[in-house]
Amino acid sequence: MPEKLYSFDESMALFRRAAAVIPGGIPGHFSPALTVPGSFPYYAVRGEGCRYWDADGNRFIDFMCGYGPIILGYRHAGVDEAARRQREQGSVFNHPTALSVELAERLVRMVPIADWATFARNGSDVCTYLVLVARQHTQRRKVIKARGAYHGTHAWCIHGIAGLIPEDYAQVLQFTWNDLDELRDLVRKNADDVAAIMLTPYHHPAFGDSVLPAPGFMAGVRELCDRHGIVLLMDDVRAGFRLDLGGSNEYFGFKPDAIAYCKALANGHVISAAVGRAELKKAASQVFFTGSYYASAAEMAAALACLEELERTRAIPHMLEMGGMLQAGLRERAAKHGLQVTVSGPPSIPAMTFSNEKNFLRMQRFSAEAARRGVFFHPHHNWFLCAAHQEADIREALDVADRCFAIVKAEFGS
Amino acid sequence: MRTILTKLRLAGLLPARASVADCILANMHLHAVLPRVADLVRLDPEAAAAVQGLELALDFAVLGGPSAHLRFRGGRVEHGAGRLGFPALGLVFTSCARLNRMFGGEKVLPVPVGGLHQLPRVRRFEALTALLTRYLKPQVTDLADPRFKAAHVELSLLVGLSAACQVGLHDPAARRVVAALHDGSIQFLVEGGPRAHVRIARGALSAAAGELPAPTATLVLRDLDFAAALIRGEVDAFSAVGAGDIRMHGDLFLADEFNALFDRVGLYLH
Repeated sequence: MPEKLYSFDESMALFRRAAAVIPGGIPGHFSPALTVPGSFPYYAVRGEGCRYWDADGNRFIDFMCGYGPIILGYRHAGVDEAARRQREQGSVFNHPTALSVELAERLVRMVPIADWATFARNGSDVCTYLVLVARQHTQRRKVIKARGAYHGTHAWCIHGIAGLIPEDYAQVLQFTWNDLDELRDLVRKNADDVAAIMLTPYHHPAFGDSVLPAPGFMAGVRELCDRHGIVLLMDDVRAGFRLDLGGSNEYFGFKPDAIAYCKALANGHVISAAVGRAELKKAASQVFFTGSYYASAAEMAAALACLEELERTRAIPHMLEMGGMLQAGLRERAAKHGLQVTVSGPPSIPAMTFSNEKNFLRMQRFSAEAARRGVFFHPHHNWFLCAAHQEADIREALDVADRCFAIVKAEFGS
Repeated sequence: MRTILTKLRLAGLLPARASVADCILANMHLHAVLPRVADLVRLDPEAAAAVQGLELALDFAVLGGPSAHLRFRGGRVEHGAGRLGFPALGLVFTSCARLNRMFGGEKVLPVPVGGLHQLPRVRRFEALTALLTRYLKPQVTDLADPRFKAAHVELSLLVGLSAACQVGLHDPAARRVVAALHDGSIQFLVEGGPRAHVRIARGALSAAAGELPAPTATLVLRDLDFAAALIRGEVDAFSAVGAGDIRMHGDLFLADEFNALFDRVGLYLH
């Protein structure tokens, strides 16, 4: 009996309407142009646990989790109830609520390097804020980042050139991840002018394998920062709370001076946070940092509930275990078909590519076939596990992956 | 040489140093538009007939600036960067702006140097440029002819892709994109129409007609009309990809980076 494959007619119809009134139809990382258009859903309707339904009524086992925010599962009762209760009282006022104090206290207690915390809405907000804090603290201009690392959509770090002027990124220097010699050379050439080195806890570029810190790399960066008075910033927006509640740096064994969090902080409720060491607190208070919704209380209630749940339920070890099962299963099934895959990244944030291609053709075919069979594996971006993924979900996804590997094998041969 | 040019400029005998935009546009004219004369001869029977028996070598050069040449022989046309030198007929412009004005259709007389004996044959070249202009800026009635429309799209696509390569090579704002480009190739296929491609190798970019055996990325454009609209800048590429009017396979990162260069062509070339 032939498989019944998903179609995406309603997604396409909605997209045509969208293209008339929304620039790009669907902007940014949600753009279908970054998946395999026509073979992926474009619009979601509802979610539950580790699954969601699209505009065509198709149901997916989700390995993107909203590109990271969904860490406990869609529509988590405890988190959503906490937000709902606060909304009944009101969420945006002339002032913050006591929840902002409670949330800052929780983060300071939970994150070993944190002596203070402040809140915003998006990852870009807090990454840029920390750059400003570092500049204020050091009275220097330059920021060093890894080539291909994503730190948001603000002018200093946004991808591409549209809308930018050279001055926007003139003070940003780049080096190749794990290349301590290149980093040292950059610092040596700009020693008195480097305010910050901003790193993700490990390298997770789109269109590439994830790369963990090489032995000694992070220690070398820390030593370099200490020697030259450079602030070490960690962008934990993508990985935060999926590796260690104390910050992903704890998972890899190093200590930054400040950390940017967003995605998984409140299980999909809109909030981000910056935390930092006491030495940066004065500069952090001097940088003017605000937004219409930065003190919105319902999201803070959601964040508190989410962090409490993460602590209470051992969600991180569970995600690491489920992710490990997925990674091992993908390797084993690909090998069974004689296919070469590179499964990279920490288990709770896995990534996969085909080792014998640079043009992603096999990966695009694999993920498109998986999407048409109800499993969302992104073709060009790392994936995310959430606490709602259970062994049965992983097994079901691996069964689909097995069929998709067979299709790749039939089409490409190896 | 530079010192002499500087002195002539200071003496008011040469125009002031060209702006970056003028230089980029001059490079587009010399390396994105001028090569299309060779493609025109390949695509248009009238043009092919016009070059039969034509022996002509032309150098186009801006003093202290870019240069390119065309060589007509054996019923074919070759385009290349740089000057051939004598006995080619040199058409020298005192500035990028003057060369751009000539390509823009204004009556600008270059300084002829070198093979002046070839001057009488230049008229036949001028007839080809008039025909090329008709293909690149067609009347609606012209496009009713399917062969003309296909040639229009191919020539325009090649101009656009070659011009994007010039953006990558010369536009200071594009340096950031070019620095991130890795080696590869991008195939452009118009359904029921022409094929063209771009190659990227160690920071050098080039565009040409035809199909590659194993491109790094492939973009399939829905049809000739859509391709023409895309080239005219009337289409939002991201929406077109989502809607399936452009189908992309392969290294989308490379295609997206090149698109950033393509987006800047319209800032210079109209």
